[in-house]
Amino acid sequence: MRNISLFLRSVAKSFLVTVLLTLALSAATKAQDAAAGAAIFKSRCTACHKLDAKSVGPALAGVNDRHKKEWLHKWIKNSQAMIFDEKDPEAIAIYDQFKPITMTPFPDLSDGDIDNILAYIAAPPATGKKGPVVTEAKEEISDLMIGGLVLVIIVAFIVIMLLNRVTGTLERLVMKNNGVEIPEEVTVDRGAKFKKLFKNKKFVFFTGIIIIIILVSIGTVGMWNTGVHTGYQPTQPIKFSHQLHAGINKIDCRYCHSGAYKSKNASIPSLNVCMNCHNYVTAADNYGGQVSPEIAKIYTALDYNPDTREYGPNKKPIEWVRVHNLPDLAYFNHSQHVVVGGVRCQKCHGPVQTMDELYQYSPLTMKWCINCHRETEVNSKGNAYYDRMIAAHEKIKKGEKMTAAVFGGTECGKCHY
Amino acid sequence: MESNKKYWKGIEELQKTPEFVENNKNEFAESLPIEEVLNEAGLNTVTPRRDFLKAMGFGLGAVTLAACQPVPVVKSIPYLVKPEEVVPGIPNYYVSSFNGQSILVKTREGRPIKIEGNPAGLLGNGGTDATTQASVLDLYDASKLKDPTKNGSKASWSEIDAFVKGELNKVQASGKKIRIVSATINSPSTKSVIADFTAQYPSTKVVINDAISYTGIIKANENSFGKSVLPRYRFDKADVIVSFGADFLGTWITPEEFSKQYVSNRNAASLERKKMSRHIQLETGMSMTGTNADSRVPVKPSEEGQAIIALYQELTGTPGTPLLTANKAAANVVKLAAKELLQAKGKALVVSGSNDVSVQILVNAINSVLGSYGTTIDLDNPSYQYTGNDAEFAELISEMNRSEVGAIFFLDSNPAYDYFNAKAFTDALAKVGLRVSFAERADETAALCNVVAINHNYLEAWGDQNAFEGYYTVIQPAINPVHNSRQAEVSLLTWSDNAVTDYYQYVRNNWEKTVLAATGKTWKSVLQTGFVYTGEKPVGTYTFSLSLGNVIPTIMNQGRALAKDIELQVYQNVPLRDGKHANNAFLQELPDPVSKVTWDNFVAIAPKFGEKLDLEEFDLVTVKGANGYSVTLPVLFQPGQAQGTISIAVGYGRTAAGKVGNGVGKNAYPFATVQNGTVQFNGTVTIEKAGGREELAQTQTHHSYEGRNVIRETTFAEYAKDPHAGSGKHGGHKKYDLWYKREMPGHNWVMAIDLNACTGCGSCIVACNVENNIPVVGKDEVRRRREMHWIRIDRYYSFNEEGKSVTEENEIGELQENKDAPNNMDNVSVVHQPMLCQHCDHAPCETVCPVLATVHSTEGLNHMAYNRCVGTRYCANNCPYKVRRFNWFNYWNDSRFENYLQEEFTQLVLNPDVTTRFRGVMEKCTMCIQRIQGGKLQAKIEKRPVKDGDIKMACQQACTSNAIIFGDVNDPGSEVAKALKSERTYYVLEEIDVQPGIGYQVKVRNTPAAATTEA
Repeated sequence: MRNISLFLRSVAKSFLVTVLLTLALSAATKAQDAAAGAAIFKSRCTACHKLDAKSVGPALAGVNDRHKKEWLHKWIKNSQAMIFDEKDPEAIAIYDQFKPITMTPFPDLSDGDIDNILAYIAAPPATGKKGPVVTEAKEEISDLMIGGLVLVIIVAFIVIMLLNRVTGTLERLVMKNNGVEIPEEVTVDRGAKFKKLFKNKKFVFFTGIIIIIILVSIGTVGMWNTGVHTGYQPTQPIKFSHQLHAGINKIDCRYCHSGAYKSKNASIPSLNVCMNCHNYVTAADNYGGQVSPEIAKIYTALDYNPDTREYGPNKKPIEWVRVHNLPDLAYFNHSQHVVVGGVRCQKCHGPVQTMDELYQYSPLTMKWCINCHRETEVNSKGNAYYDRMIAAHEKIKKGEKMTAAVFGGTECGKCHY
Repeated sequence: MESNKKYWKGIEELQKTPEFVENNKNEFAESLPIEEVLNEAGLNTVTPRRDFLKAMGFGLGAVTLAACQPVPVVKSIPYLVKPEEVVPGIPNYYVSSFNGQSILVKTREGRPIKIEGNPAGLLGNGGTDATTQASVLDLYDASKLKDPTKNGSKASWSEIDAFVKGELNKVQASGKKIRIVSATINSPSTKSVIADFTAQYPSTKVVINDAISYTGIIKANENSFGKSVLPRYRFDKADVIVSFGADFLGTWITPEEFSKQYVSNRNAASLERKKMSRHIQLETGMSMTGTNADSRVPVKPSEEGQAIIALYQELTGTPGTPLLTANKAAANVVKLAAKELLQAKGKALVVSGSNDVSVQILVNAINSVLGSYGTTIDLDNPSYQYTGNDAEFAELISEMNRSEVGAIFFLDSNPAYDYFNAKAFTDALAKVGLRVSFAERADETAALCNVVAINHNYLEAWGDQNAFEGYYTVIQPAINPVHNSRQAEVSLLTWSDNAVTDYYQYVRNNWEKTVLAATGKTWKSVLQTGFVYTGEKPVGTYTFSLSLGNVIPTIMNQGRALAKDIELQVYQNVPLRDGKHANNAFLQELPDPVSKVTWDNFVAIAPKFGEKLDLEEFDLVTVKGANGYSVTLPVLFQPGQAQGTISIAVGYGRTAAGKVGNGVGKNAYPFATVQNGTVQFNGTVTIEKAGGREELAQTQTHHSYEGRNVIRETTFAEYAKDPHAGSGKHGGHKKYDLWYKREMPGHNWVMAIDLNACTGCGSCIVACNVENNIPVVGKDEVRRRREMHWIRIDRYYSFNEEGKSVTEENEIGELQENKDAPNNMDNVSVVHQPMLCQHCDHAPCETVCPVLATVHSTEGLNHMAYNRCVGTRYCANNCPYKVRRFNWFNYWNDSRFENYLQEEFTQLVLNPDVTTRFRGVMEKCTMCIQRIQGGKLQAKIEKRPVKDGDIKMACQQACTSNAIIFGDVNDPGSEVAKALKSERTYYVLEEIDVQPGIGYQVKVRNTPAAATTEA
């Protein structure tokens, strides 16, 4: 019997396992549908649609209940035909709400794709609705605060010492007044050894020299670095993260800093460039459905209302703090370096794609410029401008490396005029 | 043949005045007022020890504190929504037009910063005059009104509209007249706006009132040929030009166009064809045109008419009473001119600067005899630059006096300043109810108006112009209106309830209806090309067939009336012209091409005559006109001025131009008189010493070559025999070099300047000022020899010496008034020489700089690193060309010091690619290195070699005469390489072997000898 029971048990077990497996698998496929739908939704629909709020187009939550599946398929593939050719009343009703905007036709989406999207809309995978993320304002302990604290401690220490002395004197006074004999303190010459040391001329001489050397070297380093602001990281009006944009999202530098390829200024992008994406990228998922407070600053600057999608008249520019400050006496041209020289942005600006908050990476000193001009070979390949130059230079400087300096890149007037 | 001519820059140099010698002896020409400065700062020159220690201690502490400064917070504010066409750091160019000339406006991040001529434009060869170059500063003029005003206080446009409309309706109802007083209007759209306005208010009439009118010519043409037009003169078609007081290269009608035409017969290309025009000038004061003439004879205003009559008689062979008996030189030159003109029949041109109808009729008769109509004078494609009629304005004054005028509008017109009888005008104006001015500022006339409806600057406005027949240029805005101004045309449209009040739309409609419809061009293409030229109409020939019976006696009588006391000539000078732009600091500081005076007008007087009157230079004199008007001005001894005459420039003495122009000089307009129905700029005056002396801010002798020979000159006859003539290139000599040879394997930027093409107008100076952020220093600083101009035009006088270039022919020999006095101040010739940093390969400045702030580049340029300069000024001292300028002040921001460019608003005109220099550093011409670098970068980005002509210097670009050519001499095909190969090329002071980078081409003068030998 035991065998049977064992067998039954095993059968039951396998059955259970099979059932469970099947169940699990089916659940997985369902989840996969929604997941695939989510991917398509993110890439094709989010520019105009949100699930729970009106955007360029209507909110899509509950769309499966409002319309039939076949109708939805037809609409997504070519809504304009339904409105203008077939005059479908349901379609016209929607168009009336959003006139004159019509939905882009998506003939390339397969029925399966659309099903997946609809599945996603019907049951979006639980994203674990986080409550509004409270961005903790990190207590920033500045140098000033630390300095202040140290100062307070020192002052307190001095006060304690002084008070101690005062109480001592007062005690003695009280004792004297009370007629208590104060035992004369026996002064032991503890400093005798030191005094002897200080009278040693050799010791004093060497100590003096060492102190002078230390002071001079501190002074030199300090002066040398005056005006060098490597690591300068000012607080910006918007907590813009290059790490997120350039690092994680891999947005090309020139998408925003298009000037670097044409002009002397790399130029901070104007807000209309931001709005190309932030028109619909609001990071609302991370902020409980609210627009991210940092992105909202763009909207405020443009007086843009994300709900009505309208721009108001009270625009005010964003005052960024410049990180890389070249002195006015130096002329620098981005396009010369980036386009002609083929220098990568990171060469001077450092690993921007990893900087959450931008800081100055290079010293931006003249020595630093000149060093690079002396070492870097000119990117002359395929540039007809350099053909004659190189031919001319080769006559005199045969075989030498064709650096920027060879072409006069270290002459005063090339940067100072 | 080496010329033995002696050149001198000014009388003080010629006479070696003690002051001049003293100044030149000093190591630095500019005196160093150390005591003065210290006293100003409140410090004693004798500093007590304690004070010294205090100051030192404070200084040390202050420096330490200042050094503690953390990173300066620099804000960077991007556009909210960037206009698509703007890339920060890259200029945009827009076509527009100024004074009828098509121009390009360079804008950076939306602000206009420079004006260039449209290279395709028809008037200026791509060059512009000084006024055009400086006009960009007018946009940023801080003295302009910021809001419209009503009865002197700020008002809103709606208030003004309501008020003006109400008043206009009242005027309309009362049957009174409406008058629009304007400078010449040649804008088709403005004319159309006024026509629409007239339709609404039928009693409207336009009265054209030009400060300098050309009524005489227009009336004469009406009289002679039935065409009341200002013809187009064609100096390019003239082989012989005779001008009676017409300053056609400087100020007469359209000097830019005339310069271009004139130089085309005298420049290198023309000389290579062995062709050069001949130019004879008879005039009172030395004009810029006179300085360029091959033969110039001074005549009094009273003799000018006689001279023209004499020429007519010579040409037609009609003997008359002997004329010009008192001025033998003039009589001789007229005879000579007649002979040469007849030889060049059909290729001759006679012009007169007179505004007298009779004189101009006679000139017409002369030109008709010479067959000029149809060749050098074109009556069928007339100029519309000046269409004023003096009689109309005189009529307006009497209308106003009769209280017939109910409303008056002033458009681009300021008669309270520039009408000769301003008092008659202002008295009459008080009788008009509604007085509206469309000025940009509260000028002299606007101050008398009850409404000032401030107009846009031309850089903020739409519009069009029609400078001559068939040439239509468009004005398009390059910036949004800065102040609360409104275009005058819009005001007129609003007040006449026009359906279209958007002037852009109005202009466009008007063009599409007329010009575009006729030519088949589109509006868009016009906004790109800037102009439409519908082509030349066939040129007809005209013959003068009227009797001169009345004309000659009239001229003789006028001459007789003038011939008493001291004769006065009132003229326009090149920088300020009629005074409209008097509030422009660049123009005020531009030295007059002849006198080299800045910031003032003066009484020009011949040295000999001055001595006769017991005057010394810079003495203040009171000049009193026949009408009782008098001014007190300093005297300037002007070689070449006719004896017994004085000249005073108009354009000065503004009282309501603004901070810059107010009180500079004295107004000379009231000296003009009406004769024969036209305003004429001459008269008789008496002179009295006013006591005192006022030194004029003259730049001419600030920099001395110690008498070294820097000018080389020859005659056309010599040149024809030997093109090397005068260049000093005969035979070689062994050269010794102290320096090692510079290698310039890549580029070698050099320049060639043709002294024969340079007319001395000075537009290059203003162009350089605008391009390179050169500060204006003001009158006092110019007096202290501290002007900052990187390029200057040296003007050299020389005596026309006997026997050197004159043949045996008696008549030519007698050109000289007095054979025995070789130093005849009446008969001087002039050479203009643009002088700027020569970028010497062996630069003397470089060797003396103790801090290596000025060093040589591998591209042949002499670099100047301002931040290295510690201000020893050794370089300036060692520079043989005296082209280095020292910053005595922080000219951009120094409260003690007024340089007119300290307004933050005005500083928006600065070129962001060029730094402004701080106090204590030396500066000089950089050869527009920002343009060189920009041109090279463009080539590198486009992966091609730099093309010749890609890079143009600011001075070169502004030059209508193409006197300046810049380029890479290592490129054998370049224009500059070709120009420097010319036989005429020489280098200034080449004997000291500093190997300058700028080659000059010998000045060639077509003196009588040449003309006669050629014939």
